[in-house]
Amino acid sequence: MSDRTRRFAQSGGAVLAAAAVLALPLVVTDRYLLKVLTFVGLNVIIVAGMAVLFGYAGQVSLGHAAFTGIGAYTCGFLTARAGWPWMTAVAAAVALSALGGLALALPSLRLRGHYLAMATLGFSVIANIVFVEAKSLTGGNDGLSGIPFASVGPVRLDTPWSNYLLVWGAAVVVVALVSGIVRGRPGRAMAALQGSEMGAMACGVDPVRVKVTAFTLSAGLAGLSGALFASAVGFVSPTSFALETSIILLAMVVLGGTRSVAGPVLAAVALTLLTYIDGLIPGLSKTTVAALQDWKGDIYGVVIVGVMLFVPAGMAGLARAWRRKSRSVTGAGEAA
Amino acid sequence: MGAAQLLQFTIAGLKNGAIYALIALGFTIVYASTGILNFAQGEFYMLGGMVAVWALRTLGLPLLAAVPAAVLVTVGVGALVERLALRPRRAEAPLVLIIITIGVSMLLQSLARHLFGPNEVALPPFTAGPSITFFGAAIERQTLWVWGLTAVALLVLWVLYTRTKLGLAMRATAVSHDSSRLVGIDTARVVMVTFALAAALGALAGVAVAPLTQTAYDVGARIGLKGFAAAILGGLGGPVAAVAGGLVLGLTESLSAAFISSTYKDAIALVVLLAVIFLKPSGLFGRAGREKV
Amino acid sequence: MGTRRKTGAGHTFRRVMTAALIVALVALSAAGCSAPTSKASAPAAEKAPIKLGAVLSLTGTYAGLGVPERNAIEMEVARINAAGGIGGRSIEVVYEDDATDPAKAQAATTRLIEREGVLGIIGATGTGQTMGMRADIDRAGIPQVSMAGGNAVTAQFDKLVFQTPWPNRIVVPFTLDFMKKAGITTIALLTDSGGYGKDGRQVVLDDVAKYGVTVVADETFNAGDTDMTTQLTKIKAKAPQAVWMWAAGKEGAIIVKNAKDLDPSGSMRIFGAPGNGRTEFIDGAGAAAEGFTFAAGRILAPDSYGRGTKAFKVATDFIGRYTQKYGKAPDIFAGHAYDAISILADALKRAGSDADSAKLRDAIEATKGLVGVGGTFDLSATDHNGLTAKDLVMYRIEGGVWKVVE
Repeated sequence: MSDRTRRFAQSGGAVLAAAAVLALPLVVTDRYLLKVLTFVGLNVIIVAGMAVLFGYAGQVSLGHAAFTGIGAYTCGFLTARAGWPWMTAVAAAVALSALGGLALALPSLRLRGHYLAMATLGFSVIANIVFVEAKSLTGGNDGLSGIPFASVGPVRLDTPWSNYLLVWGAAVVVVALVSGIVRGRPGRAMAALQGSEMGAMACGVDPVRVKVTAFTLSAGLAGLSGALFASAVGFVSPTSFALETSIILLAMVVLGGTRSVAGPVLAAVALTLLTYIDGLIPGLSKTTVAALQDWKGDIYGVVIVGVMLFVPAGMAGLARAWRRKSRSVTGAGEAA
Repeated sequence: MGAAQLLQFTIAGLKNGAIYALIALGFTIVYASTGILNFAQGEFYMLGGMVAVWALRTLGLPLLAAVPAAVLVTVGVGALVERLALRPRRAEAPLVLIIITIGVSMLLQSLARHLFGPNEVALPPFTAGPSITFFGAAIERQTLWVWGLTAVALLVLWVLYTRTKLGLAMRATAVSHDSSRLVGIDTARVVMVTFALAAALGALAGVAVAPLTQTAYDVGARIGLKGFAAAILGGLGGPVAAVAGGLVLGLTESLSAAFISSTYKDAIALVVLLAVIFLKPSGLFGRAGREKV
Repeated sequence: MGTRRKTGAGHTFRRVMTAALIVALVALSAAGCSAPTSKASAPAAEKAPIKLGAVLSLTGTYAGLGVPERNAIEMEVARINAAGGIGGRSIEVVYEDDATDPAKAQAATTRLIEREGVLGIIGATGTGQTMGMRADIDRAGIPQVSMAGGNAVTAQFDKLVFQTPWPNRIVVPFTLDFMKKAGITTIALLTDSGGYGKDGRQVVLDDVAKYGVTVVADETFNAGDTDMTTQLTKIKAKAPQAVWMWAAGKEGAIIVKNAKDLDPSGSMRIFGAPGNGRTEFIDGAGAAAEGFTFAAGRILAPDSYGRGTKAFKVATDFIGRYTQKYGKAPDIFAGHAYDAISILADALKRAGSDADSAKLRDAIEATKGLVGVGGTFDLSATDHNGLTAKDLVMYRIEGGVWKVVE
């Protein structure tokens, strides 16, 4: 297989996967399953952005749940309390989250590694305090309820099917967009930065611009996910955007592997589904369901440790290793 | 504000600060010899307290035996975590190992809930008796234990690092694993000793604080966050920097609550922390150029 | 430090350790699976059982509340079924864990409605989780009986949502009335920045003026804080007659201990809220809890109902059976859950065993004079809680136990 046919097969596969995902409601009638899959799609949107930030720009964030929260509260407040049209509210939510990302990225430019992690973590905790205390905007601990469903003109997306399509439609677009970015010029600039910052600068790459762009983009995508969450769920409360959520999101990205969008996206799908595992396997006895719910934390921990132990390069690394192997079997001459 | 009140605010700040410092010490020594942040450090704190209460109540051990037993059990857990979950992947990027410690902390917290139940439990103070009055301010006897332990931990670590062969090996490992191996240091053993030491520090903190606050299966995450913040504030440098970071964080919180707002004290402390690392990206006492990631 | 390389030995060691880990995990999961889970054996179950759902916080922050709630529901359902069920049909409760997360509570609600087709839902444990369920409850038109004490649950009125604990709009005036009679006119507030404390604080601030009480200091703390000396030092400087703390978790014990240190003579009386009616609070606070005063229902001292009354019988019967089954006296949260399942069972009896969700809702709203352990429930179209100040008493901790203040 030549590189060109491989790429063709890859993009063909991606289109097929997207079509399958969007066609799913045709066969799935279970509203619970659709709701869970909607949550999966929401995480895919966040993680796709974080894949660029971490996997390509090399930045670690422990604060992305805060951007999701900013998006969710903005969209929720504007549609439920201020009576804005849905589309405008979502645009405002994305813009505000992206702005938050920009505001955090600029002073963090000099920070690396653990210090950047601390800065984003601190931002996340402070944002959560604001979500709790700004009661007139956010509803405080009781949450912001009565958020209307998404609507465009007279069309109101008020069924699990339509919300699934909305979220996964957005997810497919986001994943395609992000894949385009990392394959194009910005992706190469990021790769160059990862190699050697000095070398990249010599080639005309502006590290500041690359890093700030990646951070702002990923924050905006997290905000988009939050806005869609608010309209799909109809209720927003601070605990959904706590530090634990940020940590889980980072775990998804790392489990997915660096320099890949597909890896983190798959990891997001797998880890989100794992949270609802007791409801997804059909035919479990009541005792098993209760035991699964009780042992969920242990299972989650073991899975994270296990994957990192056996596949430290993440899902993307696994795929790369597998491809390398198949390539060396079919003959090394073809691959350049 | 009277002088006695100011003294009371300071005592409160230094009490919390010493707790943060003990956790920060654990973060710092593990970071020094491995370059990773151990997010399970808070769970060592939780295990120390919970195992001590269990040994006291269920096994009926006296407090004098329950405390060392809890520390020993936690040290065992710490060594096992290092041996089983971290050593096999030590060659990987630090973030891979950090995510492993996050998984470990989820597992430990969940297992503790199965073993010890979901409720908070109490431990009696090491020395009974009313608080001591000091220039009009009250100090609990247990707080003196926390301070004493922090001082002893600091001293022991200082002696270990500067006066022993093991300490020399730990410092060499911190600089470079490869060159340490070249000069004949068993770096694997050094790392395991470091983890055991960090677990002991966490467990000691957990046992010493439980009489003040009670403890529960889920106290690890929050205290881990505070300890991480303190370690970063100190600059992930030596033990002294970690303790200083903890004390500064505790004082900032207490004085914010005293003079600005108790609702926003955590936010204020974090803003101060962010300001410090934005202005001086290597923390208050860290040296530039030691970054490992 | 030696340089010995245990090549062969190291390999064996790794294998042994891996094997040990696997064995340990298998043993643990086996232990988990064999954990006691009651199989509600229903002698009356000739017909299909009546399905109810329960969304509880069995893990996460509120696990300490959710677990006794599940215990109480399981025990009560088993009793109802053993006694022949409802109109010949047994009750089956499907439990869901929300992990103290509103989004998970919502997903759990969808699952109970769509998958299990439940007739009504008990839950959630916390206010945030209860509110998160509302959108699905409304869409499906299914009645919900919450065990969360937040004012918002029934104050933001929903015709489908009911609530069993004493809401703060009853607890706060009752406590303020007590303070007024005790001659207390200046108080300081020390409240949890979480949902429980915020809710209480707001109601106190709204109500104090009516009782001639002034709030001279208004401090907060966060869940997980290890020391409240700073806040209490500020409070002491204002010399209030009483400190009113609003804390359900282990922070409550820290506050009374810190207060005792700063104020050994006890010039400031410490007041609390129903959430402090837990033995863990007394265990943690020790001697510092002496004199601590709080309002709660009569479940903590059933004698206060008067021996021989129906309420006394209901409460002691529940406490006795629960203590026998679980080896520990029920706390107020177990009581709230008992009341929730009792309200549903009582409504089902009146609505008939073949009632649909709408009929069940109407029957719940028509509950009159139902004697539970939290009080006597008189629900109406405007009051979805049904408890009054008559169901509350003031407790003071004396000699390590709570005693009713006459």
